[in-house]
Amino acid sequence: MADERVEVVLQVNGREHRLEVSPRWTLSDVLRHQLGLIGTHVGCEQGVCGACTVLLDGEPVRSCLMFAVQAQGQHITTVEGITPENGLSPLQEAFRAHHALQCGYCTPGMLLTAQALLDRDPNPSEETIREALTGNLCRCTGYQFIVDAVLAARGQGRGA
Amino acid sequence: MAEVLRPQMMGARVSRLEDPRLLSGQARFLDDIQVPGMLEVAFVRSPHAAAKILSVDVEAARHLPGVYAVMTHQECPVMLWNKESYKVGQPALADGEVAFVGQPVVAVIAENRYIAEDAAELIRVEYQAITPVLDMRDAIQEKPRRVHEHAENVFFKKSRQTPGFDEAFAAASHHLTASFRTNRQTAVTMEPRGTAAMLDAASGRLTVYASTQSPHRMREDICNLLDIPEHLVRIIVPEVGGGFGMKAACYPEDVVVAQAALRYRKPVKWISDRLESLESDVHARDDIHDVEVAFDDDGKIIAIKDHLMADGGAYPAYPWSGAEGETGLAARVLTGPYDIPYLATDIDCTYSNKTPLGSYRGVWGPIASFIQEGLVDRVARHLNLDPADVRRRNMIRKEQFPYRNAARMIYDEGSYLESMEEALKLIGYEDFRKRQAVLRQQGRYVGVGISVFVEPTAMASSEAGEVGYESCTIRIEPSGRVTAAFGLGPSGQGHETTMAQLLADQLGVPLADIVVLHGDTDSAPYGGGTGGSRSGPIGGGAALVAGRQMRERLIKYAAHLLEAGEDDIELGDGKAWVAGVPDRSLTIRTIAQTAYMDVSKIPEGLPIGLEITGRYLPKRPVTFSNGTHIAEVEVDVHTGVVKVTRYAVANDCGRVINPTIVEGQIHGGVAQGIGAAVLEALRYDEDGQLVTTSLLDYLLPESTDVPRIDVHHIETPSEGEGGIKGMAEGSLIAAPAAVACAISDALAPFGGMVDTLPVTPDMVLKMVQDR
Amino acid sequence: MKPAAFKYFRASTTEEALQHLEAHPGSKVLAGGQSLVPLMNFRLSRPEVLVDINGVDELNRLSVEGGEVRIGALVRHQQLAESVDVARAVPVLSTAAQHIGHWAIRNRGTIGGSVAHADPASELPAALVALNGSVVLRSAAGERRLPADEFFQGFFNTALQDGDLIVELRIPVSKSRFGFSEVVRRPGDFALVGAYIERAGSSGAVTWFGLSGRPERLPVDAWPQGESDRRALLERLVGALPVDESEDYKRAMAVNVAERAYHQAEGEK
Repeated sequence: MADERVEVVLQVNGREHRLEVSPRWTLSDVLRHQLGLIGTHVGCEQGVCGACTVLLDGEPVRSCLMFAVQAQGQHITTVEGITPENGLSPLQEAFRAHHALQCGYCTPGMLLTAQALLDRDPNPSEETIREALTGNLCRCTGYQFIVDAVLAARGQGRGA
Repeated sequence: MAEVLRPQMMGARVSRLEDPRLLSGQARFLDDIQVPGMLEVAFVRSPHAAAKILSVDVEAARHLPGVYAVMTHQECPVMLWNKESYKVGQPALADGEVAFVGQPVVAVIAENRYIAEDAAELIRVEYQAITPVLDMRDAIQEKPRRVHEHAENVFFKKSRQTPGFDEAFAAASHHLTASFRTNRQTAVTMEPRGTAAMLDAASGRLTVYASTQSPHRMREDICNLLDIPEHLVRIIVPEVGGGFGMKAACYPEDVVVAQAALRYRKPVKWISDRLESLESDVHARDDIHDVEVAFDDDGKIIAIKDHLMADGGAYPAYPWSGAEGETGLAARVLTGPYDIPYLATDIDCTYSNKTPLGSYRGVWGPIASFIQEGLVDRVARHLNLDPADVRRRNMIRKEQFPYRNAARMIYDEGSYLESMEEALKLIGYEDFRKRQAVLRQQGRYVGVGISVFVEPTAMASSEAGEVGYESCTIRIEPSGRVTAAFGLGPSGQGHETTMAQLLADQLGVPLADIVVLHGDTDSAPYGGGTGGSRSGPIGGGAALVAGRQMRERLIKYAAHLLEAGEDDIELGDGKAWVAGVPDRSLTIRTIAQTAYMDVSKIPEGLPIGLEITGRYLPKRPVTFSNGTHIAEVEVDVHTGVVKVTRYAVANDCGRVINPTIVEGQIHGGVAQGIGAAVLEALRYDEDGQLVTTSLLDYLLPESTDVPRIDVHHIETPSEGEGGIKGMAEGSLIAAPAAVACAISDALAPFGGMVDTLPVTPDMVLKMVQDR
Repeated sequence: MKPAAFKYFRASTTEEALQHLEAHPGSKVLAGGQSLVPLMNFRLSRPEVLVDINGVDELNRLSVEGGEVRIGALVRHQQLAESVDVARAVPVLSTAAQHIGHWAIRNRGTIGGSVAHADPASELPAALVALNGSVVLRSAAGERRLPADEFFQGFFNTALQDGDLIVELRIPVSKSRFGFSEVVRRPGDFALVGAYIERAGSSGAVTWFGLSGRPERLPVDAWPQGESDRRALLERLVGALPVDESEDYKRAMAVNVAERAYHQAEGEK
């Protein structure tokens, strides 16, 4: 079947983008290749690893399991969208201070899941944090410093 | 000269310099390399474990709109074959036959990956299936057939025996036998492999972007395989999302992508998807050990005999087989930290119709530790002794260093017994035994496993290659800021920070004034790359050597410009001053200005500019890190599920450059070790189909599978530069054994002991039922 | 792993969705996509037409009325897990919903999708069977309601016909007490085996999933009071199920999780 193109309007990190996409293009591919938002990483395209996690209307979802056409009219937040114009957000700072990343590939997805958790529950327990992060795989850190970073970022909001 | 430094950065918990770009989504990984006109590759891979290729029809694919080219073996007639070591090589694209599921057969090059995959589906390959060779023991006996007609299945065979072994073995009062099995696992870097290649518009040379651990080795491999001189190839390694040894090899896909860029004069990129990753990244740990151990009444182990077998897969990974690495070194370090005088080993590595075996963090170590600690626990249980006591009785003692083990490996000084006692304290061993007894009364089964490990690091050769040294080029720019380049290939280890820490101390400049470059063969001095826990000790050693040379030069400048003796010059905080007279000072910037701009003032005998390349080749062929891991587990005997509940580590990797980074490495290795012990296995069915093709089947540890890990540092310096030892593999070497031993301990009331990794729920239930 | 091309239609009403399904034989409904899209990425599923129902608000209703919990096909797992009404009316359903996948999966995955996918190791189809629920289907020909036990026919196989749209699940609010337990290697994984127990006075039922091709509900006339008698009964029941030989070890697990679920049911309400 030929690759038809359809128009879609995406709201990404507070900006509106009018794009021509093929319906089969995943949201992760369109964010990365059409919009140049390379902070969204693709790790499995099987919906398991969580590297491609973005926020859809504030809730974490797998961008590899959504077609970009489906995101019409919804608000998408990527790691670029939670990064302040200058410097890093409190959560990002906590990740740095606690050595919560090594290769950094899972990090954007981790940050977005953790941020969504902190947005809904400003004071989560370690158990709640670990449970929330089960859908984001990290192969480098053993998770401990990630959990420490999220614990440290409690109550600090999103920052600038 | 005021040579005695007060290192401020070495040993400091410095936050990483590489983090801001990674945290803000700005880091550029391989798939983020995008240039106009770039084409993407999809591979047609073998659906058979073993088959003759009768025909390949690519016409329909070639005519699909958006397809640029289709390559078969004809268009890319390259063999990845290390002829010095093996009788067999792997064609970059299959040539008349396939030997494992996932082997690349045809490459489609198209506008984008979607179209490339559409076209790949249109390619018709006619196969005639052959009986696959899948069982390791059978394969060693050449059954059901040879994998490669012209080569015996056993491609690596080696026997070694301590003189006097037979007599000592026979004379011992106790003997036990056991067979240990580790199942196939793989690294699963979160960023899959990938390669991009293009002709450089400015120079006409071939530029290859590679997600690899070893930039210079990759250049050498590409040049050798495609017959291009080295100065016409540039390797650039962007951000690498995990390597773990798996990205140390050169793969068929790397060669095909480079060949496509040359042949079609187009930028070409291939990114592995997760299916490809599980099928075609090198596998690891497919080993069987048939072991006999001899010991006396006190639990002193006298001799170990081991038949080591490994299934190397269909071809030797290029340039060497992981099967050889896993068995060859396991046979030399099988006695671990214990003073066991006699060892006899026989190695058989065989071909099979499975994915090639390559390196994965720890290579031989996780297997050897599993066996070594499993044996000690068996001895303890047989004699009804405490496992910690049996370890104490057998441990190499401080006064025995340098120690020569039964396979003639020389261990430099470590803290073997001390590390175990520390770890026992951390886990609260005595209390645990009481708690364990109480819980057993309640029908709950908890256990601890002790894993005392040795970790050979900074070896003269490793999966990173045979380059035993590392290089560092320091250039102090006219501004006084420092650019330092290494041949390393980091994938998350934080070299930009740790190398800068070492240099900051030497050069007396703030950390923020140093930039560490790596991964570009145009800027990096020749080096071995990252692998085999060598970057810290050897790369760090190079930083220290080059840093010291540059320091000496800065001091000469300062002495000259400040009109003082060299012995009186001190460096720090971006300045040089006369000791005790802080007013008589100048900035490094002033020195740099002089060196580049005001060259008439350069002290006599010094060259223009501030640029130095230092190289470091350790005197010892290896330095041993060591430590002890203790895992506590709870086994649910009703479901077979194992939960690792507590974890303690006493780690000794010599002088620590950055304790936080070391701890991060340990945590990560423990997590992988928990995966290795209870979750991760690549499974083939009876037809040789890989059945674990997604991350729903190949189970990685999640955040709730890894407990808090308590780490205690011990520092026994190496004799090398800075006293540094390597450390990246020790945690994965030790952890699977710790967890396995803990499960055996928990299930002691049922009598069995773990002999297979990973330990799955059905195995646990069987151990419980076989009581 | 990129999906094959397809034609995409976005429906905003049930009628519109049905029209698209009718007009394009072989088309598939796209709801949360958490099962379908991975299969499409593997190209194990390659529908020529996708009908996206995410914009059909009427399928997104969740209510407890007339002695039934009514769950629209588009209700997300997370919504189900967090619903106070559901927790009150059928607590075991809340518990089970919390065990489905991970947060990001639950945010997107739908009840209808889970039921249509019919993974034998999935918590929700089994809950529907255990709780005597039913599936409401609509097609151009009209609406019909199938008991869950009839709807799930085997391994990834249901009574769903071409042109059918799952619109709602209905679960009766029961006086029985229910318990749920499962064996997973890691949180969020599909179960190796799981069980729901129903205790209606002295009788009830056990529903196992992950053992055979579909959830199996087996009535129990009288629950033995003693643990060993109960285990003996459960062993007998599980012994009659068609479990693959290579997964024989699951029978022991099945008895153990059922026993756990039994105790859970004791504590419920």
